[in-house]
Amino acid sequence: MSVLRPLDRLPGLNTATILLVGTEDALLQQLADSMLKADCTSELKVHLARSLPLPCSVNRPRIDLIVFVVNLHSKHSLQSVEESLCHLDAAFFLGKVAFLATGAGRDSHCSIHRNTVVKLAHTYRSPLLFCDLEIEDFRAAMAQRLVRLLQICAGHVPGVSALNLLSLLRGSENPSPEDL
Amino acid sequence: METQSEEQAVTKPADSGGEGGPPQVAGAQAVRPEDRMTLLLRLRAQTKQQLLEYKSMVDAHEEKTPEQIMQEKQIEAKIEELENEVEEAKTAFEIKKLALDRMQLSTALRKHLEKVDIKTSVLMNNMKQILNLNKLIMKSQQETWDLEEKLLDVRKKRLQLKQASERKLSEIQTEKNKQKDDLDSMENSDKIKTIQQKLETEIQITTVIQHVFQETLQISFLKRTSFWGVKSTGQRILPSRKLFCSLRRISQ
Repeated sequence: MSVLRPLDRLPGLNTATILLVGTEDALLQQLADSMLKADCTSELKVHLARSLPLPCSVNRPRIDLIVFVVNLHSKHSLQSVEESLCHLDAAFFLGKVAFLATGAGRDSHCSIHRNTVVKLAHTYRSPLLFCDLEIEDFRAAMAQRLVRLLQICAGHVPGVSALNLLSLLRGSENPSPEDL
Repeated sequence: METQSEEQAVTKPADSGGEGGPPQVAGAQAVRPEDRMTLLLRLRAQTKQQLLEYKSMVDAHEEKTPEQIMQEKQIEAKIEELENEVEEAKTAFEIKKLALDRMQLSTALRKHLEKVDIKTSVLMNNMKQILNLNKLIMKSQQETWDLEEKLLDVRKKRLQLKQASERKLSEIQTEKNKQKDDLDSMENSDKIKTIQQKLETEIQITTVIQHVFQETLQISFLKRTSFWGVKSTGQRILPSRKLFCSLRRISQ
């Protein structure tokens, strides 16, 4: 299948799967390790990919959350993320997609402007998170945050759905896109 | 098209021991029945939530999405509309939930009060304290309201006084201007009249003097030629009659 759909499989019992998409393999691996170390009552599965579409041959559980990792130091990562976005079903963008921008700390190395990523997130109406994945403490905090997000998107938190969370997260973001 | 992306999967065993316990090796430890219960309850809540999500997706898909290609701006406008609808639905739901909670709380409170001895309950003390505080609050609010009213009245009066004084000053100004104008016009008309009169008298005087000169010239001419030959006083009188009449006119 070339297009990834959010609800085409049944969920596994007590299982939550996250898909990290990005060109920086080392960073993704480190983030995955931090996430697995985080406290969580559900079983976590972390899938890593460089870009979409994913190969069809692999037997894969239902993906609950996709995080696109963009490195602000390289334009190639932004390009590959933009290309991958075409292979997602529209239903995914109802709260099951998030953008993560890394490398904002070292401003001199940034070749992508911050506003580009903000615009991208605004176009797809998805939350944008900033984190320097190279620093361990920030990575651990972000991993914790992603685990919570994943639990909500997988439906493990009663009373909060992915769409609910999306509109909650949107409240603080809205002022900046209007300034662009 | 043949971009075969790599995919790696990493998994973590479930923490089935209980809340706050250290992560255990899956299946190795004996699980107590209470932990099993909590696990089951948690799974039940999870499955309910997931079922709700699937149902809502089914409902959403029943609504037809417009397939025609709309312009960028229209799409943006539509998206904002939908987002606003979502927000409104959320707030409505929250308010209804609050109202329901309040009703449930009040019935629970009432039942509790019916059961408990009224005089010694801590709840009653709290409620009495709350009532006293509310009375104080209302009193001080009333006082502030009164003071604000007085302040407003004073300000209003000040404004009215200012406006009245403004009006009086402008009236004085207009009166002054009017007076000045009147004076000017009066002066002008008086001056003009006197000047006109003087001019008239001057003209008359000059005409008289003109006649006088004319007569004297005639007399001298007559004296020299002596055409008539007869010095009669009658003829001399003739040219000077005009002179006499004009003199009389002037003196009148």
